[in-house]
Amino acid sequence: MAGMSACGAAGRSVRVAVVGPMTGEQAKQGKDMADGARLAVAEWNAKGGVLGRPVELLMGDDAQDPKQANSLANKMWTRGVVLVVGHYNSSCTIPASEIYNLRHMVMITPASTNPKVTDRGYKTLFRICGRDDQQGMVGARYVVRAMPNAKVAVLHDKTTYGQGLADEFLKNYEQMSSRKVVYYGAIVKEDQDYSAVLTSLKALDPDLLYFGGLYPQAGLLVRQMRQLGLKATLMAGDGTYDPEFIRIAGANNAEGSLLTFMPDQEKIPGAQAVISNYRKRFGEVGPYSLYSYEAMNIGLAALSKAGALDGLKAAAVIHASSFDTVFGPIRFDAKGDVLESPYVVWRVESGRLVQIPRQ
Amino acid sequence: MTGPGAQLLQQVINGLAVGAVYALIALGYTMVYGIIELINFAHGEIYMMGAYAGIIILSALLALGAPLGWALIMAFLASMLLTGLYGVATERLAYRPLRGASRLAPLISALGMSIFFQQYVLLSQGARDKIFPVELSSGGFAAAGVKVSYIQAAILLVATILMAGLTAFVQRTRMGRAMRASAQDPCMASLSGVPVNSVIAMTFFIGSALAAVAGFMIAMYYGKVNYLVGYIAGLKAFVAAVLGGIGNIPGAMVGGLVLGVVESLAAGYIGGEYKDVVAFGILIAVLIARPEGLMGTRLPEKV
Repeated sequence: MAGMSACGAAGRSVRVAVVGPMTGEQAKQGKDMADGARLAVAEWNAKGGVLGRPVELLMGDDAQDPKQANSLANKMWTRGVVLVVGHYNSSCTIPASEIYNLRHMVMITPASTNPKVTDRGYKTLFRICGRDDQQGMVGARYVVRAMPNAKVAVLHDKTTYGQGLADEFLKNYEQMSSRKVVYYGAIVKEDQDYSAVLTSLKALDPDLLYFGGLYPQAGLLVRQMRQLGLKATLMAGDGTYDPEFIRIAGANNAEGSLLTFMPDQEKIPGAQAVISNYRKRFGEVGPYSLYSYEAMNIGLAALSKAGALDGLKAAAVIHASSFDTVFGPIRFDAKGDVLESPYVVWRVESGRLVQIPRQ
Repeated sequence: MTGPGAQLLQQVINGLAVGAVYALIALGYTMVYGIIELINFAHGEIYMMGAYAGIIILSALLALGAPLGWALIMAFLASMLLTGLYGVATERLAYRPLRGASRLAPLISALGMSIFFQQYVLLSQGARDKIFPVELSSGGFAAAGVKVSYIQAAILLVATILMAGLTAFVQRTRMGRAMRASAQDPCMASLSGVPVNSVIAMTFFIGSALAAVAGFMIAMYYGKVNYLVGYIAGLKAFVAAVLGGIGNIPGAMVGGLVLGVVESLAAGYIGGEYKDVVAFGILIAVLIARPEGLMGTRLPEKV
């Protein structure tokens, strides 16, 4: 198949792709992913490429739209791509992965955390970040231990990611604490005004509001909570890990907010050389830059080890091997998830996100 | 703790603040429709550009070391002027050449302008949220479990002043009379010496300047804006204008406030995800029961 579609000048290159939201309000996340993949490909090409051929990186924009993601997946197949790093949103990864699975392309997502991404058992599908059930569990465990008597409310943004994460938190929290949450509800992501829901919440006087959603909405939520005089602490997931969250909320309003994310990259000794290279080429390292970088590295290493541009063979290699990454050695389980849950709790302290020690 | 009464009052106050913003945008829709019977679908984008203009000018003034209060007022006025001119330019370039063409042509042109403005802002300002450059106080007036934040109070105050001012302008001044005349019968107005083109340009200027005020205040309230906010806000304001009776100035004000409060109550008592369902449900109900809107009068079909 690859021989049929990849011909002409680029016929000798190994085609790989990075796909994500390159435009729209998540364009920054898309760029972070693209830059991470670019760095990995440049390093492989400097070492002579894969299977003796140069690696060509294609870029695809899904505009955070599941329909776009699907047509993009088909387009990548017709262009002879064997390895895809992406997508960002679970709502894009889930439908697009049907196509990657059908076409035996290796897909490694650096950012989609919904359990359903890997729960369908597709052989060529991997995830290098954590899962929302792990993340919800880590969040719930923190709340149960650090704030045992807290009244907890739960809110989500009705997306695959947001609702999935909120539900995992809810389930884990109610199990661990044997308490009920005082509120469970939703906001609309496109909306900017959440004061009505927050006013209802205020009457319940919660101590903690868990939010399943992304940073633009989380920032607005905290801001409007404080405007209404609601003092509850906000807790959210990896989608809120962005300095922009604090800027939108206002530093004073965001102070003390909690979120779950992977460990601080600045504190991983093995990551510093890569971080400094990345900074030189692309500027500040984004939350998913290194995950995208390592996803590409793992994919290329697997192709190289498989000895052929064959997705099924490369996937078998990934399932069977351990990979040395900047995060330490990574192994995948039978579903394609990383074996160890990476999540830790972060807090906003003096206007900055700080990782707090594992409980 | 707050009682149910206080909670209801709080929901109404929140709804009024947002409703006042809808009303300011809706005025632009309704004034333009009143005169040239065009639904100006680019109006939501005008509002969005007003917010951007305000933030950019404010940031520049603050960077030059201007004191905050002074910078806010200057940014406010400059954004109104600039956005007003965008409105006038839109009319001149995209609508006036099509006057007299089939009614569909300017409508499509308006949709085109809407997409153009969105992409213009996307390309020139980027896709990321634009953050309001100063962190305004989250404080406010609180009593008996009800809180009106300073920003909410400012929105309500400014909107009231502008709506009163607009009403006086339309009812009392020479230009206002010319506007009403052009709305009733543009041909007759022009025969009686009313410069209809200038009146229309003025209408666009005022409508756009009001949208700029709405945009700037919303940017202050929410602390951020992006290039897509005009779509939803424009749609909501359009609903407000139709609810009140399109073409009717007091109707747009009432429609905006009613919509804001109804949305707030729906989100507060039914659930955030039902806010739009209720808003558009009410629109459908009003259109069925009273197609001319709450304050509109049934007009004989113009031929």
